[in-house]
Amino acid sequence: MAGLKIHGLAKSYRDVRVLENIDLDIASGEFFTLLGPSGCGKTTLLRTIAGFQHQDRGEIIVNGERIDHKPAHKRDIGMVFQDYAVFPHLTVAENVAFGLKARSLPKAEIESRVAESLAMVRLDGYQNRLPAEMSGGQQQRIGLARAMAIRPTLLLMDEPLSNLDAKLRIELREDIRDIQRRLGITTIYVTHDQEEALAVSDRICVMNKGNVEQIGTPFEIYRKPQRRFAAAFVGTMNFLPGRMQGGQLTVGSHSVPFPHGVGTGSVEVAIRPENVLLTGASADGEAIALRGEVRKVTFLGREAHYTLSTEAGEIVAQVADPDRDFIEMEGRPVEVRLPLQKVVLFQSNGDVLSAGRP
Amino acid sequence: MMRRRFRYDLWTFVLIAAWVILLILLIWPLSSILRASLLDNETGAFSFVHYFQIFTTRVYQRAIGNTLIAGFGGMAGALVLGVTLAFVTTRFHIYGRALIQTLAVVALVSPPFIGAYAWIVLFGASGVVRKGLASIGISIPPLYGMLGVILVFAFKFFPHVFLITSGALSAINRSVEEAAESLGVSPARRLFTVTFPLILPAISASALLTFVLSIADFGTPRIIGRDFNVLATEAFNLYGGEVGGNPGMASALSIVLIILSMIIVFGQRWVLRKNVYHSNLIKKPERQHVGGVKSVGLHVLAYAIVLIGALPAIIVVLFSFRRTSGPVFQPGLSLQSYEKVISTVSDPIWNTLLFSTVAVVAIVITGTLIGYLISRRPNIATGALDATLMIPYVVPGIVMGIAFITRFNDPPLALTGTGLIIIMAVFIRRLPYSARSVAAALKQVGPNLEDAAVSLGYSPGKAFMKVTVPLIVPGILAGALMSFVTAMNELSSSLVLYVGSTITMPVRIYLSVMDGEYGTASALSTILLVMTVVAVYAAFHLSGRKESALL
Repeated sequence: MAGLKIHGLAKSYRDVRVLENIDLDIASGEFFTLLGPSGCGKTTLLRTIAGFQHQDRGEIIVNGERIDHKPAHKRDIGMVFQDYAVFPHLTVAENVAFGLKARSLPKAEIESRVAESLAMVRLDGYQNRLPAEMSGGQQQRIGLARAMAIRPTLLLMDEPLSNLDAKLRIELREDIRDIQRRLGITTIYVTHDQEEALAVSDRICVMNKGNVEQIGTPFEIYRKPQRRFAAAFVGTMNFLPGRMQGGQLTVGSHSVPFPHGVGTGSVEVAIRPENVLLTGASADGEAIALRGEVRKVTFLGREAHYTLSTEAGEIVAQVADPDRDFIEMEGRPVEVRLPLQKVVLFQSNGDVLSAGRP
Repeated sequence: MMRRRFRYDLWTFVLIAAWVILLILLIWPLSSILRASLLDNETGAFSFVHYFQIFTTRVYQRAIGNTLIAGFGGMAGALVLGVTLAFVTTRFHIYGRALIQTLAVVALVSPPFIGAYAWIVLFGASGVVRKGLASIGISIPPLYGMLGVILVFAFKFFPHVFLITSGALSAINRSVEEAAESLGVSPARRLFTVTFPLILPAISASALLTFVLSIADFGTPRIIGRDFNVLATEAFNLYGGEVGGNPGMASALSIVLIILSMIIVFGQRWVLRKNVYHSNLIKKPERQHVGGVKSVGLHVLAYAIVLIGALPAIIVVLFSFRRTSGPVFQPGLSLQSYEKVISTVSDPIWNTLLFSTVAVVAIVITGTLIGYLISRRPNIATGALDATLMIPYVVPGIVMGIAFITRFNDPPLALTGTGLIIIMAVFIRRLPYSARSVAAALKQVGPNLEDAAVSLGYSPGKAFMKVTVPLIVPGILAGALMSFVTAMNELSSSLVLYVGSTITMPVRIYLSVMDGEYGTASALSTILLVMTVVAVYAAFHLSGRKESALL
């Protein structure tokens, strides 16, 4: 299996810079996800690695060998497409055998690899069907089997699940993750769905406007965002205006000592809804206390969301396994506590000032 | 990098070759028309004298007015018939829908001037129907002049409207109409405030097509128009030279004709400037079952339209088996018309088959390559190529014929009187249709399919051959057969370009009609019709029975 290194990759369309100086180092066997909103450059980056587009400068190195001068069909990179790109005029088996025939493998070898790949994606028995007779989820399984059959050095997946409905999406993403783990194939996965990225990845690269915002494990991305963009894009995050001065953090009318904070000036105080504590909940350590009022309660079954208007601004709190009386709180005054351990501060340029202490 | 190098190999060559073809076969000949229209016939000096004459001479003013009347009249008639038929067949349960479609297609592909000729047989000065009605005391005027021309155009061109708009009508989301219904809009109002605006792109496209076809048509006004002169007939007469030709004036009239078509093309673009609706087709429209008088009325309406449309073709076939004596039909059946065709005038049949086949092979190869270039290599050069390919749409066959004969009369390209010049005219006139249909077919084949093949280890050239070509071949073949049909039926440019040895069937039929040899004309028309129907049936079959293949 193969590792991938990218150095200083840049690309512009006319005067729009779609990739700015990208550096990545992906380990062999890793499941690496490019996550970002549409237009952030993630698909361009993926297609540049595949060889369908060409960088203006920078290097792409697989297993110590530069591949960026090679044409796409000699890079030995498997690709799975958002619109499946299954050949409609070929049967399922012919689709999977398509890349093997390009490699002039012996017939018996092709047959056994086709059978093996189809079994892997649980499509055995469908060999002679035409793609038009199959559902979207099944078509994407063909696409996956077809890419895996050539045993590529790298597997690239361009939003493979975004044309499927919610239930299929979860089912197929679990399958993709299992197959990837079993074969240990280095995989680069593009998605705009943060939940999908958290669920399948070894590491996530959050991208925005052609730049890498943060690279980290799903836990790091979610719990220790290094940039305001990553914090806002992944999961739900409350942002409140605050002020740092002389080791004191002021939010609304409340000030608490914040020894790890340095400097002076306005900051943004970020906290996840599940970390916001409502009246009565016990809190360890220090917290920012705010007075507010419950504006709206949204009951979602295993949890409830409280939209609160506080003196510092509107925030959302999430309460797991809500009791009956929690539901009847709309319009009531409430005290909100933001534990300092869970709070992340961002400077006005979007860099993190201080991640919460462990 | 490989992709780039590939781009500079094959497709650059195709691009250059395409431009060379268009320059030699389109721009250069047409420039001769423009040039001739701006030169004084006597002195050869630059002058606007022809244009000045057009706007001061009564007969030319009338020709322009008549051309507009024929264009808008034919368009309006075809729209009313075509949209009505499309609406009735897509929204109501009509028995024999396949038969209706077949009859519409027969009307569409029957040779263009057969209509005019058959209408004369029925309603002309000694027309069968007129005489029949006169014998029971009903007198109707013979069908010559303006009304006749418009009527023939309406029944000749409505199938275009029908095929284009029924596609659009069956792609409207039914929920949108239901929404209008639930908001309290009456069905009739809904038709004009919701349904028709939604299919405006299809309606305006077919309006444009029928207008351009109507003003470019030469045979109909020539045969049935009598003193109803239009620009196409005037240009032909002035060029014909039998009564002292005036090439400068013929050219100036041609330019006016082209400009009229272009105004309509831009007009349609203006109408559509913001009418781009994207609809998620969730609920397909249903065919309503109606009973009683309403059902009978709808059936009568639908069948009347298609039967009258196909009537000329039917008449021609029937009359080809009648006994004739000179120009007069005699009682009784006979194969003598066919015997005469076989024994004396079989050359046109072979010429037609040969010219059409050669032209279509060239059209298919060139059109496929250009279509690929336009849809898969978008840049300034291919964009300009696409725009230039619009020109043949608005240049009537008569004008193209005159342009060719002016340019290819002298060395180095002295082609007058050869079969090649007829082939080239058909080629350049039909090339855009082929290129555009290939470009459209390629848009259906996502570029990701080729990328997928490349990622699996095929070079871009092989990926194109292995994936894209198999997917677009049925479309290309269907398009080829339709090109073959139009090539076989090409009258106007061939009429200018033919000599005795290169005469084609449409020209022979036209001359027979003008000479009053109706038996020969009927037999030849029937043979042409049969060849056409066979090709259409094959095209239909190849394209998976999609009527859209016929456009």
